[in-house]
Amino acid sequence: MPLVFVILSALLIASAVGVILFRNPIHSALCLVVNLVGVACVFAALEAHFLAVVQVIVYAGAIMVLVVFVLMLLNSKTEERTLSGVIQLVLSGIIGGCLVSVVGPFIIEQWPIVAREEPPISGSVEALGKVLYTDYIFPFETAGFLVMAALVAAAMLAKTKGGDPNHPRISEGKNDGTIQAGGEQ
Amino acid sequence: MGAVLGIVIKGFLVQQVTLGLASFCTWVERKGSALIQDRVGANRAGTNLYVGEFLKTDVFLLKPFAFIVRNLLLRPAFAVFRFLGSIGVINTLLNDALKALLKEDFVPAGTNLFLHALGPFMAVFPVFLAFGVIPLAPDVQIFDTVIRFQVAEISTGLLFLLAMGSIAVYGVVIAGWTGNNKFSLLGALRAAAQMISYELAMGVVFATVVLHFGTFDLYRVIEMQGGSIANWGVFFMFPTGFLCFLILFIVGMAETKRGPFDLPESESELVAGYFTEYSGMKFLLFWLGEFAEIALFAIVLATFFFGGWHIPFVEFPAGEWWAALIGHAVFIGKVLFFCVLQITIRWTLPRFRYDQLMNLGWKMLLPLSIVNLIVAAAVKLSL
Repeated sequence: MPLVFVILSALLIASAVGVILFRNPIHSALCLVVNLVGVACVFAALEAHFLAVVQVIVYAGAIMVLVVFVLMLLNSKTEERTLSGVIQLVLSGIIGGCLVSVVGPFIIEQWPIVAREEPPISGSVEALGKVLYTDYIFPFETAGFLVMAALVAAAMLAKTKGGDPNHPRISEGKNDGTIQAGGEQ
Repeated sequence: MGAVLGIVIKGFLVQQVTLGLASFCTWVERKGSALIQDRVGANRAGTNLYVGEFLKTDVFLLKPFAFIVRNLLLRPAFAVFRFLGSIGVINTLLNDALKALLKEDFVPAGTNLFLHALGPFMAVFPVFLAFGVIPLAPDVQIFDTVIRFQVAEISTGLLFLLAMGSIAVYGVVIAGWTGNNKFSLLGALRAAAQMISYELAMGVVFATVVLHFGTFDLYRVIEMQGGSIANWGVFFMFPTGFLCFLILFIVGMAETKRGPFDLPESESELVAGYFTEYSGMKFLLFWLGEFAEIALFAIVLATFFFGGWHIPFVEFPAGEWWAALIGHAVFIGKVLFFCVLQITIRWTLPRFRYDQLMNLGWKMLLPLSIVNLIVAAAVKLSL
Protein backbone atom coordinates (compact mmCIF):
# COMPACT_ATOMS: atom_id res chain seq x y z
CA MET A 1 0.00 0.00 0.00
CA PRO A 2 2.09 2.93 -1.21
CA LEU A 3 -0.44 5.60 -0.16
CA VAL A 4 -0.38 4.42 3.45
CA PHE A 5 3.40 4.44 3.34
CA VAL A 6 3.54 7.97 1.93
CA ILE A 7 1.20 9.31 4.61
CA LEU A 8 3.11 7.53 7.36
CA SER A 9 6.47 8.74 6.05
CA ALA A 10 5.26 12.32 6.01
CA LEU A 11 4.06 11.92 9.60
CA LEU A 12 7.34 10.30 10.64
CA ILE A 13 9.49 13.02 9.10
CA ALA A 14 7.31 15.81 10.48
CA SER A 15 7.36 14.36 13.99
CA ALA A 16 11.11 13.70 13.84
CA VAL A 17 11.72 17.33 12.86
CA GLY A 18 9.38 18.36 15.65
CA VAL A 19 11.47 16.48 18.20
CA ILE A 20 14.45 18.67 17.34
CA LEU A 21 12.73 21.99 16.75
CA PHE A 22 10.35 22.30 19.70
CA ARG A 23 11.68 24.47 22.51
CA ASN A 24 9.62 22.84 25.22
CA PRO A 25 11.07 19.43 26.14
CA ILE A 26 7.60 17.97 26.76
CA HIS A 27 6.47 18.93 23.26
CA SER A 28 9.59 17.25 21.88
CA ALA A 29 8.89 14.12 23.92
CA LEU A 30 5.30 13.99 22.67
CA CYS A 31 6.57 14.35 19.10
CA LEU A 32 8.86 11.40 19.75
CA VAL A 33 5.83 9.41 20.91
CA VAL A 34 4.08 10.22 17.63
CA ASN A 35 7.20 9.13 15.78
CA LEU A 36 7.42 5.80 17.62
CA VAL A 37 3.74 5.05 17.09
CA GLY A 38 4.22 5.96 13.43
CA VAL A 39 7.00 3.39 13.13
CA ALA A 40 4.64 0.87 14.71
CA CYS A 41 2.08 1.76 12.03
CA VAL A 42 4.71 1.09 9.33
CA PHE A 43 5.33 -2.32 10.90
CA ALA A 44 1.59 -2.99 10.92
CA ALA A 45 1.35 -1.97 7.24
CA LEU A 46 4.08 -4.53 6.50
CA GLU A 47 1.93 -7.22 8.19
CA ALA A 48 4.37 -7.49 11.10
CA HIS A 49 1.64 -7.17 13.72
CA PHE A 50 3.66 -8.55 16.60
CA LEU A 51 6.52 -6.11 16.05
CA ALA A 52 4.06 -3.23 15.73
CA VAL A 53 2.33 -4.05 19.00
CA VAL A 54 5.61 -4.62 20.85
CA GLN A 55 6.92 -1.32 19.49
CA VAL A 56 3.93 0.46 21.00
CA ILE A 57 4.09 -1.41 24.32
CA VAL A 58 7.82 -1.03 24.88
CA TYR A 59 8.72 2.33 23.35
CA ALA A 60 5.57 4.42 23.27
CA GLY A 61 3.93 2.81 26.28
CA ALA A 62 6.76 2.25 28.72
CA ILE A 63 9.89 4.21 27.91
CA MET A 64 8.27 7.41 26.65
CA VAL A 65 5.75 7.50 29.48
CA LEU A 66 8.69 7.44 31.87
CA VAL A 67 10.46 10.20 29.91
CA VAL A 68 7.36 12.41 29.89
CA PHE A 69 6.80 11.63 33.57
CA VAL A 70 10.32 12.72 34.51
CA LEU A 71 10.14 15.84 32.32
CA MET A 72 6.90 16.84 34.00
CA LEU A 73 8.29 16.19 37.47
CA LEU A 74 11.48 18.18 36.94
CA ASN A 75 9.82 20.77 34.69
CA SER A 76 12.97 22.44 33.44
CA LYS A 77 12.09 25.81 31.96
CA THR A 78 15.49 27.04 30.85
CA GLU A 79 17.69 25.22 28.39
CA GLU A 80 20.94 24.01 29.86
CA ARG A 81 23.82 24.04 27.42
CA THR A 82 26.69 21.73 28.20
CA LEU A 83 28.69 23.05 25.28
CA SER A 84 28.87 26.53 23.80
CA GLY A 85 26.77 27.31 20.73
CA VAL A 86 29.63 27.26 18.22
CA ILE A 87 31.10 23.94 19.40
CA GLN A 88 27.62 22.40 19.38
CA LEU A 89 26.98 23.63 15.85
CA VAL A 90 30.30 22.25 14.57
CA LEU A 91 29.83 18.90 16.33
CA SER A 92 26.28 18.43 15.07
CA GLY A 93 27.46 19.39 11.59
CA ILE A 94 30.17 16.73 11.66
CA ILE A 95 27.84 14.01 12.97
CA GLY A 96 25.07 14.96 10.52
CA GLY A 97 27.58 15.05 7.65
CA CYS A 98 28.80 11.53 8.57
CA LEU A 99 25.22 10.26 8.51
CA VAL A 100 24.45 11.87 5.15
CA SER A 101 27.70 10.58 3.62
CA VAL A 102 26.80 7.04 4.67
CA VAL A 103 23.12 7.04 3.73
CA GLY A 104 23.26 9.46 0.78
CA PRO A 105 25.19 7.33 -1.75
CA PHE A 106 22.97 4.41 -0.91
CA ILE A 107 19.83 6.35 -1.76
CA ILE A 108 21.37 7.79 -4.97
CA GLU A 109 22.39 4.31 -6.06
CA GLN A 110 18.92 2.88 -5.52
CA TRP A 111 17.03 5.84 -7.05
CA PRO A 112 14.20 5.73 -8.08
CA ILE A 113 13.07 3.68 -5.09
CA VAL A 114 10.38 1.14 -5.90
CA ALA A 115 8.61 -1.33 -3.65
CA ARG A 116 9.81 -4.88 -4.10
CA GLU A 117 7.28 -7.38 -5.33
CA GLU A 118 8.06 -9.87 -2.58
CA PRO A 119 5.68 -11.24 0.01
CA PRO A 120 5.94 -9.37 3.31
CA ILE A 121 8.26 -10.75 5.95
CA SER A 122 6.59 -13.28 8.18
CA GLY A 123 6.27 -11.47 11.49
CA SER A 124 4.20 -14.12 13.23
CA VAL A 125 4.69 -14.74 16.92
CA GLU A 126 5.54 -18.42 16.40
CA ALA A 127 8.32 -17.72 13.90
CA LEU A 128 9.79 -14.99 16.05
CA GLY A 129 9.66 -17.11 19.21
CA LYS A 130 11.34 -20.06 17.49
CA VAL A 131 14.18 -17.91 16.18
CA LEU A 132 14.58 -16.12 19.48
CA TYR A 133 14.80 -19.32 21.53
CA THR A 134 17.00 -21.36 19.14
CA ASP A 135 19.33 -19.32 16.94
CA TYR A 136 19.54 -16.25 19.15
CA ILE A 137 19.21 -17.80 22.59
CA PHE A 138 22.55 -16.45 23.90
CA PRO A 139 22.13 -12.83 22.78
CA PHE A 140 18.55 -12.96 24.06
CA GLU A 141 19.52 -14.26 27.48
CA THR A 142 22.45 -11.84 27.68
CA ALA A 143 20.11 -8.93 26.98
CA GLY A 144 17.78 -10.16 29.70
CA PHE A 145 20.68 -10.44 32.12
CA LEU A 146 21.86 -6.92 31.28
CA VAL A 147 18.41 -5.45 31.87
CA MET A 148 18.19 -7.26 35.20
CA ALA A 149 21.60 -5.93 36.24
CA ALA A 150 20.57 -2.41 35.24
CA LEU A 151 17.38 -2.78 37.30
CA VAL A 152 19.29 -3.84 40.42
CA ALA A 153 21.83 -1.04 39.89
CA ALA A 154 19.06 1.55 39.53
CA ALA A 155 17.42 0.33 42.74
CA MET A 156 20.78 0.58 44.54
CA LEU A 157 21.41 4.11 43.24
CA ALA A 158 17.96 5.30 44.22
CA LYS A 159 18.40 4.18 47.82
CA THR A 160 19.33 6.82 50.39
CA LYS A 161 22.50 6.43 52.41
CA GLY A 162 21.39 5.85 55.98
CA GLY A 163 18.21 7.89 55.55
CA ASP A 164 14.63 6.78 55.63
CA PRO A 165 14.46 3.82 53.23
CA ASN A 166 10.82 4.56 52.50
CA HIS A 167 11.62 7.94 50.96
CA PRO A 168 14.15 7.56 48.19
CA ARG A 169 16.04 10.62 47.11
CA ILE A 170 14.79 11.97 43.80
CA SER A 171 17.47 14.50 43.03
CA GLU A 172 20.08 16.64 44.71
CA GLY A 173 20.72 20.33 44.48
CA LYS A 174 19.11 21.61 41.31
CA ASN A 175 15.50 20.85 42.07
CA ASP A 176 14.30 22.53 45.23
CA GLY A 177 11.63 19.90 45.71
CA THR A 178 8.67 21.95 44.55
CA ILE A 179 6.58 20.73 41.68
CA GLN A 180 5.52 23.32 39.17
CA ALA A 181 2.62 23.06 36.80
CA GLY A 182 3.16 23.08 33.07
CA GLY A 183 2.26 25.53 30.37
CA GLU A 184 4.01 28.64 29.19
CA GLN A 185 3.60 31.19 31.90
CA MET B 1 -13.43 -1.79 -1.72
CA GLY B 2 -15.91 -4.29 -0.31
CA ALA B 3 -13.50 -5.24 2.45
CA VAL B 4 -12.97 -1.60 3.41
CA LEU B 5 -16.72 -0.97 3.46
CA GLY B 6 -17.20 -4.04 5.65
CA ILE B 7 -14.61 -2.79 8.12
CA VAL B 8 -16.21 0.66 8.21
CA ILE B 9 -19.63 -0.86 8.93
CA LYS B 10 -18.16 -3.17 11.58
CA GLY B 11 -16.30 -0.26 13.13
CA PHE B 12 -19.51 1.75 13.29
CA LEU B 13 -21.38 -1.14 14.94
CA VAL B 14 -18.62 -1.75 17.48
CA GLN B 15 -18.63 1.98 18.23
CA GLN B 16 -22.34 1.74 19.01
CA VAL B 17 -21.71 -1.23 21.32
CA THR B 18 -18.96 0.73 23.08
CA LEU B 19 -21.10 3.82 23.53
CA GLY B 20 -24.04 1.68 24.65
CA LEU B 21 -21.98 -0.07 27.30
CA ALA B 22 -20.47 3.25 28.44
CA SER B 23 -23.95 4.79 28.70
CA PHE B 24 -25.17 1.79 30.65
CA CYS B 25 -22.24 2.20 33.06
CA THR B 26 -23.05 5.91 33.44
CA TRP B 27 -26.64 5.10 34.28
CA VAL B 28 -25.66 2.38 36.77
CA GLU B 29 -23.17 4.79 38.31
CA ARG B 30 -25.84 7.45 38.88
CA LYS B 31 -28.82 5.31 39.80
CA GLY B 32 -26.91 2.43 41.37
CA SER B 33 -24.93 4.73 43.63
CA ALA B 34 -28.24 6.20 44.80
CA LEU B 35 -29.47 2.69 45.54
CA ILE B 36 -26.33 1.87 47.53
CA GLN B 37 -26.42 5.14 49.47
CA ASP B 38 -30.16 4.88 50.14
CA ARG B 39 -31.01 7.94 48.03
CA VAL B 40 -33.61 8.29 45.28
CA GLY B 41 -31.23 9.40 42.55
CA ALA B 42 -32.05 10.96 39.21
CA ASN B 43 -35.81 10.62 38.61
CA ARG B 44 -37.16 13.96 37.38
CA ALA B 45 -36.04 14.79 33.85
CA GLY B 46 -38.68 13.99 31.26
CA THR B 47 -41.39 13.09 33.78
CA ASN B 48 -43.42 16.26 33.12
CA LEU B 49 -44.11 15.29 29.53
CA TYR B 50 -47.88 15.06 29.01
CA VAL B 51 -49.72 15.25 25.72
CA GLY B 52 -52.51 17.39 27.21
CA GLU B 53 -54.04 19.86 24.75
CA PHE B 54 -51.31 19.18 22.25
CA LEU B 55 -52.47 19.00 18.60
CA LYS B 56 -56.15 19.52 19.48
CA THR B 57 -57.80 21.18 16.51
CA ASP B 58 -61.20 22.58 15.48
CA VAL B 59 -60.65 22.00 11.81
CA PHE B 60 -62.90 19.08 10.98
CA LEU B 61 -60.71 17.58 8.29
CA LEU B 62 -57.62 17.58 10.48
CA LYS B 63 -59.36 15.98 13.47
CA PRO B 64 -58.78 12.32 12.64
CA PHE B 65 -55.16 13.04 11.72
CA ALA B 66 -54.52 14.87 15.00
CA PHE B 67 -56.27 12.11 16.92
CA ILE B 68 -54.06 9.43 15.38
CA VAL B 69 -50.87 11.39 15.99
CA ARG B 70 -51.83 12.25 19.57
CA ASN B 71 -53.04 8.88 20.73
CA LEU B 72 -51.08 6.39 18.73
CA LEU B 73 -47.78 8.22 18.39
CA LEU B 74 -47.23 10.91 21.01
CA ARG B 75 -49.00 9.29 23.95
CA PRO B 76 -47.00 6.02 23.90
CA ALA B 77 -43.79 7.88 23.08
CA PHE B 78 -44.30 10.27 25.99
CA ALA B 79 -45.18 7.36 28.27
CA VAL B 80 -41.91 5.67 27.38
CA PHE B 81 -40.07 8.97 27.96
CA ARG B 82 -41.75 9.42 31.35
CA PHE B 83 -40.80 5.89 32.35
CA LEU B 84 -37.19 6.36 31.22
CA GLY B 85 -37.09 9.69 33.06
CA SER B 86 -38.42 8.15 36.25
CA ILE B 87 -35.57 5.62 36.30
CA GLY B 88 -33.00 8.31 35.51
CA VAL B 89 -32.09 7.37 31.95
CA ILE B 90 -33.11 10.71 30.38
CA ASN B 91 -31.19 12.62 33.01
CA THR B 92 -27.95 10.70 32.56
CA LEU B 93 -27.94 10.31 28.80
CA LEU B 94 -29.80 13.30 27.36
CA ASN B 95 -29.65 16.09 29.91
CA ASP B 96 -26.06 15.59 30.99
CA ALA B 97 -24.79 15.43 27.42
CA LEU B 98 -26.83 18.48 26.37
CA LYS B 99 -25.69 20.42 29.40
CA ALA B 100 -22.05 19.56 28.70
CA LEU B 101 -22.39 20.59 25.06
CA LEU B 102 -23.93 23.96 25.93
CA LYS B 103 -21.46 24.81 28.68
CA GLU B 104 -18.61 27.24 28.21
CA ASP B 105 -15.44 25.48 27.15
CA PHE B 106 -13.06 26.99 29.67
CA VAL B 107 -9.35 26.87 28.89
CA PRO B 108 -6.85 28.00 31.54
CA ALA B 109 -4.68 30.97 30.62
CA GLY B 110 -1.20 30.42 29.23
CA THR B 111 -1.63 26.79 28.33
CA ASN B 112 -1.07 25.07 25.02
CA LEU B 113 -4.45 24.99 23.26
CA PHE B 114 -3.65 22.01 21.06
CA LEU B 115 -2.43 19.83 23.91
CA HIS B 116 -5.32 20.94 26.09
CA ALA B 117 -7.73 19.59 23.47
CA LEU B 118 -5.58 16.52 22.88
CA GLY B 119 -5.83 15.39 26.52
CA PRO B 120 -9.47 14.25 26.57
CA PHE B 121 -9.11 12.91 23.03
CA MET B 122 -6.22 10.68 24.08
CA ALA B 123 -8.21 9.54 27.11
CA VAL B 124 -10.99 8.19 24.88
CA PHE B 125 -9.26 7.21 21.65
CA PRO B 126 -7.10 4.22 22.80
CA VAL B 127 -10.01 2.67 24.69
CA PHE B 128 -12.29 2.88 21.65
CA LEU B 129 -9.49 1.52 19.48
CA ALA B 130 -9.03 -1.45 21.80
CA PHE B 131 -12.64 -2.46 21.16
CA GLY B 132 -11.64 -3.04 17.55
CA VAL B 133 -9.86 -6.32 18.26
CA ILE B 134 -12.62 -7.81 20.39
CA PRO B 135 -14.88 -10.43 18.79
CA LEU B 136 -18.38 -9.62 19.99
CA ALA B 137 -20.32 -12.60 18.64
CA PRO B 138 -19.72 -15.97 16.98
CA ASP B 139 -19.22 -16.04 13.21
CA VAL B 140 -22.19 -15.84 10.89
CA GLN B 141 -22.25 -17.48 7.50
CA ILE B 142 -24.32 -15.75 4.85
CA PHE B 143 -24.28 -17.72 1.59
CA ASP B 144 -20.57 -18.35 1.12
CA THR B 145 -19.04 -15.52 3.11
CA VAL B 146 -18.24 -15.90 6.77
CA ILE B 147 -18.72 -12.69 8.73
CA ARG B 148 -16.68 -12.24 11.87
CA PHE B 149 -17.88 -9.62 14.34
CA GLN B 150 -14.44 -8.21 14.94
CA VAL B 151 -13.12 -5.09 13.22
CA ALA B 152 -9.43 -6.01 13.08
CA GLU B 153 -8.76 -9.71 12.71
CA ILE B 154 -5.14 -9.49 13.83
CA SER B 155 -3.34 -12.47 15.31
CA THR B 156 -1.99 -10.45 18.23
CA GLY B 157 -5.24 -9.06 19.58
CA LEU B 158 -4.34 -9.84 23.17
CA LEU B 159 -1.13 -7.81 23.00
CA PHE B 160 -2.98 -5.01 21.24
CA LEU B 161 -5.14 -4.58 24.35
CA LEU B 162 -1.97 -4.20 26.42
CA ALA B 163 -0.55 -1.68 23.93
CA MET B 164 -3.69 0.45 24.05
CA GLY B 165 -3.67 0.26 27.84
CA SER B 166 -0.18 1.73 27.89
CA ILE B 167 -1.08 4.45 25.37
CA ALA B 168 -4.03 5.47 27.54
CA VAL B 169 -1.62 6.94 30.10
CA TYR B 170 -0.87 9.86 27.76
CA GLY B 171 -4.39 11.25 27.91
CA VAL B 172 -4.15 11.61 31.65
CA VAL B 173 -0.58 12.91 31.60
CA ILE B 174 -1.25 15.53 28.91
CA ALA B 175 -4.47 16.61 30.60
CA GLY B 176 -2.77 17.06 33.94
CA TRP B 177 0.12 18.95 32.47
CA THR B 178 -1.88 21.35 30.32
CA GLY B 179 -4.17 22.12 33.23
CA ASN B 180 -1.47 24.61 34.27
CA ASN B 181 -2.40 23.90 37.84
CA LYS B 182 -0.71 22.08 40.68
CA PHE B 183 -3.70 19.97 41.55
CA SER B 184 -4.09 18.63 38.05
CA LEU B 185 -0.35 18.01 37.69
CA LEU B 186 -0.25 16.09 40.97
CA GLY B 187 -3.28 14.09 39.86
CA ALA B 188 -1.60 13.29 36.55
CA LEU B 189 1.61 12.19 38.29
CA ARG B 190 -0.37 9.95 40.60
CA ALA B 191 -2.36 8.51 37.71
CA ALA B 192 0.75 7.82 35.61
CA ALA B 193 2.57 6.16 38.51
CA GLN B 194 -0.48 4.07 39.35
CA MET B 195 -1.13 2.96 35.78
CA ILE B 196 2.52 2.06 35.13
CA SER B 197 2.73 0.12 38.40
CA TYR B 198 -0.36 -1.94 37.79
CA GLU B 199 0.44 -2.53 34.13
CA LEU B 200 3.28 -4.85 35.19
CA ALA B 201 1.00 -7.26 37.02
CA MET B 202 -1.44 -7.02 34.10
CA GLY B 203 1.30 -7.99 31.65
CA VAL B 204 2.25 -11.04 33.70
CA VAL B 205 -1.38 -12.12 33.97
CA PHE B 206 -1.76 -11.74 30.20
CA ALA B 207 1.34 -13.93 29.78
CA THR B 208 -0.26 -16.60 31.98
CA VAL B 209 -3.44 -16.47 29.93
CA VAL B 210 -1.43 -16.81 26.71
CA LEU B 211 0.43 -19.73 28.27
CA HIS B 212 -2.83 -21.51 28.91
CA PHE B 213 -4.56 -20.87 25.61
CA GLY B 214 -1.44 -20.93 23.46
CA THR B 215 -2.63 -18.09 21.24
CA PHE B 216 -2.84 -14.29 21.08
CA ASP B 217 -5.99 -14.46 18.99
CA LEU B 218 -9.00 -13.42 21.06
CA TYR B 219 -11.43 -15.28 18.82
CA ARG B 220 -9.60 -18.54 19.39
CA VAL B 221 -9.38 -17.82 23.12
CA ILE B 222 -13.17 -17.72 23.25
CA GLU B 223 -13.54 -20.66 20.89
CA MET B 224 -11.43 -22.87 23.17
CA GLN B 225 -13.75 -22.24 26.11
CA GLY B 226 -16.81 -23.86 24.51
CA GLY B 227 -18.50 -27.03 25.72
CA SER B 228 -18.12 -27.96 29.38
CA ILE B 229 -17.89 -25.28 32.05
CA ALA B 230 -14.51 -26.78 33.00
CA ASN B 231 -13.12 -25.23 29.81
CA TRP B 232 -13.70 -21.73 31.14
CA GLY B 233 -10.58 -19.74 31.87
CA VAL B 234 -11.29 -19.36 35.61
CA PHE B 235 -11.13 -23.10 36.08
CA PHE B 236 -7.94 -23.83 34.16
CA MET B 237 -5.12 -25.38 36.20
CA PHE B 238 -6.90 -24.58 39.43
CA PRO B 239 -6.10 -22.34 41.25
CA THR B 240 -3.87 -20.45 38.80
CA GLY B 241 -6.77 -19.48 36.54
CA PHE B 242 -8.84 -18.16 39.41
CA LEU B 243 -5.85 -16.25 40.75
CA CYS B 244 -5.35 -14.74 37.29
CA PHE B 245 -8.96 -13.59 37.28
CA LEU B 246 -8.67 -12.11 40.75
CA ILE B 247 -5.45 -10.22 39.96
CA LEU B 248 -6.78 -8.95 36.65
CA PHE B 249 -9.98 -7.77 38.31
CA ILE B 250 -8.05 -5.75 40.91
CA VAL B 251 -5.65 -4.43 38.26
CA GLY B 252 -8.62 -3.46 36.11
CA MET B 253 -10.11 -1.41 38.93
CA ALA B 254 -6.75 0.33 39.40
CA GLU B 255 -6.17 0.90 35.67
CA THR B 256 -9.55 2.53 35.23
CA LYS B 257 -8.67 4.72 38.22
CA ARG B 258 -11.92 3.73 39.86
CA GLY B 259 -13.22 2.46 43.10
CA PRO B 260 -10.84 2.37 45.99
CA PHE B 261 -8.06 3.31 43.54
CA ASP B 262 -9.33 6.79 42.59
CA LEU B 263 -6.38 8.65 44.10
CA PRO B 264 -5.64 10.55 40.85
CA GLU B 265 -8.94 12.40 41.22
CA SER B 266 -9.37 12.29 44.99
CA GLU B 267 -11.69 15.24 45.40
CA SER B 268 -10.87 15.85 49.06
CA GLU B 269 -7.23 16.64 48.30
CA LEU B 270 -6.89 17.47 44.59
CA VAL B 271 -10.21 19.16 43.67
CA ALA B 272 -10.74 16.75 40.76
CA GLY B 273 -7.23 15.60 39.96
CA TYR B 274 -6.01 15.59 36.41
CA PHE B 275 -9.21 16.98 34.85
CA THR B 276 -9.60 19.89 37.28
CA GLU B 277 -9.21 22.46 34.50
CA TYR B 278 -11.61 20.86 32.05
CA SER B 279 -15.25 21.74 31.56
CA GLY B 280 -18.13 20.98 29.26
CA MET B 281 -17.79 18.24 26.71
CA LYS B 282 -14.06 17.82 27.28
CA PHE B 283 -14.75 17.00 30.91
CA LEU B 284 -17.45 14.57 29.84
CA LEU B 285 -15.03 12.86 27.45
CA PHE B 286 -12.87 11.84 30.41
CA TRP B 287 -15.91 10.22 31.96
CA LEU B 288 -16.82 8.54 28.71
CA GLY B 289 -13.29 7.16 28.43
CA GLU B 290 -13.40 5.94 32.00
CA PHE B 291 -16.71 4.16 31.56
CA ALA B 292 -15.63 2.69 28.24
CA GLU B 293 -12.56 1.41 30.06
CA ILE B 294 -14.74 -0.22 32.70
CA ALA B 295 -16.69 -1.93 29.92
CA LEU B 296 -13.44 -2.93 28.21
CA PHE B 297 -12.12 -4.59 31.36
CA ALA B 298 -15.44 -6.34 31.86
CA ILE B 299 -15.16 -7.61 28.27
CA VAL B 300 -11.59 -8.79 28.86
CA LEU B 301 -12.66 -10.67 32.00
CA ALA B 302 -15.58 -12.28 30.20
CA THR B 303 -13.35 -13.18 27.24
CA PHE B 304 -10.42 -14.64 29.14
CA PHE B 305 -12.13 -16.32 32.06
CA PHE B 306 -15.87 -16.72 31.52
CA GLY B 307 -16.19 -18.28 28.13
CA GLY B 308 -17.14 -15.22 26.07
CA TRP B 309 -20.41 -16.01 24.30
CA HIS B 310 -20.54 -19.67 25.37
CA ILE B 311 -23.24 -21.08 27.61
CA PRO B 312 -21.86 -24.12 29.48
CA PHE B 313 -22.96 -27.49 28.06
CA VAL B 314 -24.95 -25.80 25.29
CA GLU B 315 -23.68 -25.98 21.73
CA PHE B 316 -25.21 -23.86 19.00
CA PRO B 317 -24.82 -24.72 15.33
CA ALA B 318 -21.99 -22.72 13.79
CA GLY B 319 -22.75 -19.95 11.32
CA GLU B 320 -26.42 -19.43 12.17
CA TRP B 321 -27.53 -15.84 12.63
CA TRP B 322 -29.80 -16.61 15.59
CA ALA B 323 -26.98 -18.45 17.34
CA ALA B 324 -24.80 -15.35 16.88
CA LEU B 325 -27.59 -13.20 18.29
CA ILE B 326 -27.99 -15.38 21.38
CA GLY B 327 -24.22 -15.59 21.74
CA HIS B 328 -23.90 -11.81 21.60
CA ALA B 329 -26.66 -11.42 24.20
CA VAL B 330 -24.94 -13.90 26.53
CA PHE B 331 -21.61 -12.14 26.05
CA ILE B 332 -23.06 -8.71 26.76
CA GLY B 333 -24.90 -10.15 29.76
CA LYS B 334 -21.63 -11.33 31.27
CA VAL B 335 -20.02 -7.98 30.47
CA LEU B 336 -22.85 -6.04 32.14
CA PHE B 337 -22.49 -8.23 35.23
CA PHE B 338 -18.83 -7.30 35.60
CA CYS B 339 -19.58 -3.61 34.90
CA VAL B 340 -22.13 -3.58 37.71
CA LEU B 341 -19.74 -5.47 39.99
CA GLN B 342 -16.97 -2.92 39.43
CA ILE B 343 -19.30 0.01 40.07
CA THR B 344 -20.72 -1.66 43.20
CA ILE B 345 -17.20 -2.10 44.60
CA ARG B 346 -16.42 1.51 43.77
CA TRP B 347 -19.36 2.74 45.83
CA THR B 348 -18.73 0.32 48.70
CA LEU B 349 -15.04 0.51 49.58
CA PRO B 350 -13.26 3.61 50.91
CA ARG B 351 -10.22 5.03 49.12
CA PHE B 352 -6.74 3.58 49.66
CA ARG B 353 -3.84 5.51 51.08
CA TYR B 354 -1.10 6.12 48.53
CA ASP B 355 1.47 3.82 50.18
CA GLN B 356 -1.17 1.08 50.43
CA LEU B 357 -1.82 1.47 46.72
CA MET B 358 1.86 1.14 45.82
CA ASN B 359 2.40 -1.75 48.25
CA LEU B 360 -0.57 -3.63 46.80
CA GLY B 361 0.73 -3.20 43.28
CA TRP B 362 4.42 -3.83 43.75
CA LYS B 363 4.67 -6.05 46.81
CA MET B 364 1.55 -8.18 46.48
CA LEU B 365 0.05 -8.34 43.02
CA LEU B 366 3.30 -8.39 41.02
CA PRO B 367 5.06 -11.17 43.01
CA LEU B 368 1.81 -13.12 43.23
CA SER B 369 1.29 -12.93 39.47
CA ILE B 370 4.89 -13.97 38.78
CA VAL B 371 4.62 -16.98 41.11
CA ASN B 372 1.32 -17.75 39.45
CA LEU B 373 2.98 -17.66 36.03
CA ILE B 374 5.76 -19.98 37.14
CA VAL B 375 3.31 -22.45 38.69
CA ALA B 376 1.15 -22.37 35.58
CA ALA B 377 4.22 -22.96 33.39
CA ALA B 378 5.32 -25.90 35.56
CA VAL B 379 1.85 -27.46 35.46
CA LYS B 380 1.65 -26.91 31.71
CA LEU B 381 5.04 -28.60 31.20
CA SER B 382 4.15 -31.59 33.36
CA LEU B 383 0.82 -32.17 31.59
